[in-house]
This record gives sequence, C-alpha cells and structure tokens, in this order.
Amino acid sequence: MDFTALGAAIAVFTGLGAGLGIGMATSKATDAVARQPEADGKILKLLVLGCALAEATAIYGFVIAIMILFS
Amino acid sequence: MDIKELLNEILLKDKAFIHLPFGNGKYDIYESVVVTWIIMAIVLVALLILTHGFKVHNISKRQAAVEAFVVWVRKMVGDMLGEEAAGYTDYIVTVLIFLGVSNMSGLLGFIPPTMDINVTAALALMSIVLVEAAGIHHKGTKGWLKSFIQPMVVVAPMNIMELAIKPLSLCMRLFGNIIGATVIMELLKHVLPFALPVPFSVYFDMFDGLIQAYVFVFLTSLYIKEAVE
Repeated sequence: MDFTALGAAIAVFTGLGAGLGIGMATSKATDAVARQPEADGKILKLLVLGCALAEATAIYGFVIAIMILFS
Repeated sequence: MDIKELLNEILLKDKAFIHLPFGNGKYDIYESVVVTWIIMAIVLVALLILTHGFKVHNISKRQAAVEAFVVWVRKMVGDMLGEEAAGYTDYIVTVLIFLGVSNMSGLLGFIPPTMDINVTAALALMSIVLVEAAGIHHKGTKGWLKSFIQPMVVVAPMNIMELAIKPLSLCMRLFGNIIGATVIMELLKHVLPFALPVPFSVYFDMFDGLIQAYVFVFLTSLYIKEAVE
C-alpha cells in the first residue's frame, strides 16, 4: 500500500497548532483593545507579528506536505 | 484524478523561460526572473509618471498624494526600525514595494516571482547579510562576536543556529504563503471559473500578499533593530 498521502495529511496537522495560537493571540488582542482603545496601533503591530510567527508552523507543515507528495 | 495533474503542472513544470546558448550547453533564465524584469519596468514607469513635473509651490493633487504616501511609508518603516537603525529605511522600503507589487502580480495574470523559492531565498539571504553587517557596523567586530554570548554563554549555540534559522524561516514563510495561495486559487478556478474566484482573489492575491510583504520587512527590521542595540 502507498502511504504517501497519509504522511502528507499528518504533516498538515501542524495547522492545528497555528489555528489555536492565532485564535488565542486574537482573543487577547481584542481584550487589550477593549481595555485600552488608544493603544490599538501598537497592539495591531504585535498581533500581526505574533500571527506571522504562529502561522509559520502551519506553512512549514504545508511545504513539507507538498514535498512529500511531489518528490 | 485531474486535480493531481493540475498540481503537478503548477508545482513541477519547467521553470526555465528563455534558453540562451552558453558554451556547450544552455543558460536558462527562469520565468521568475523575467516576471521580475516586467515588475521592475512597471514600477519604474509608474515612478516616472508619478514623479513627473514636481514643483515647490502650487503642488498638484498627484504630487500631494505621492508625497503623503512616501512620508507614510517612511514613517511606518522608521518606527519599525527605531532611531538607531533609521539609516536602513530606504532598503526596507524598497524591499516592501518590490514584494508588495510582486505578490500582487497574480492579479495581472503573471506567476508571482515570490512563488519561486530561489527568489525568496535570495531576499532572505540579503536580509541576513544586512542584519549581520549592521551589527558589525554599529558594534564593531568585537561587539558583534560578543553579542553571541549574550545574555549567557549557555545560549551561544542557539544564537549561532539563529544565523541559519532566521533566513530559512523568512524564506519559507514567504514562499509557502504565496505558493499556498496560488495553489488554492488554481483549484478554485478549476472548480468554477466564473465569479467564485473573485472574493478569494481579493483575499489571497491582495490582502495576503500585502500582509506577507509587511511581515517580511517587519521581521527584517526587527532583526536589524535587535542587531544594532
């Protein structure tokens, strides 16, 4: 049997962590803006940075899944 | 299944666009390089048109808009870099504009050059060389070497590993995002070529591309800021 697709599917599981991480970051950012609306510029900057770092894991999983499927 | 064929076509096709005879073999010019030339031409022409006939008094609306945009971008990047590294603003703005335009070139029907891993790898290498050069320039060679054992000697291996991890993650993040967006857009076009791809194109081609360009320069300027402190 060929388990290549299964391996790719497991690699894409990294999306789980990225989704949870970005969700948590966004909820905290919403809290922070509700508490201090005047600091929204700084909070947005940090949120974008945090989301980009959290999202990286999902992207690595995706790249590895593509590498498994097509090489 | 034809989806697999479609993906094969996107991901594994021959990237060489122009074959120049070179010695005994051929010198291949990749499609990403040709699209980069087209983007350079577009940006240059846009700059020439936009900056044509500037005056000191009685400025036109076009000049006011261009000046407001330039001041806004430079202020945004300058805030990211901090005061000490403000001299690197021009490079960062250049990379931001290039990445923004090239990520959005999918709108014009081109294959985005950032979908080629060689392009993102080159940009990431440029970033890390600039970061370390900025560190050496501001702290001196001794200070730069000392920064590897800060805050403790124990973390020195981690700091040295970061030299490779930083450009790798910059390169992979941009490449993975753009290739993911392009693959999803091709699949959507395959499912229903009419009307459906429009909202997704706004998200994947414009929003995601701009966010990724911003994230790339944000991380680069963060590293520079860290290196000069």
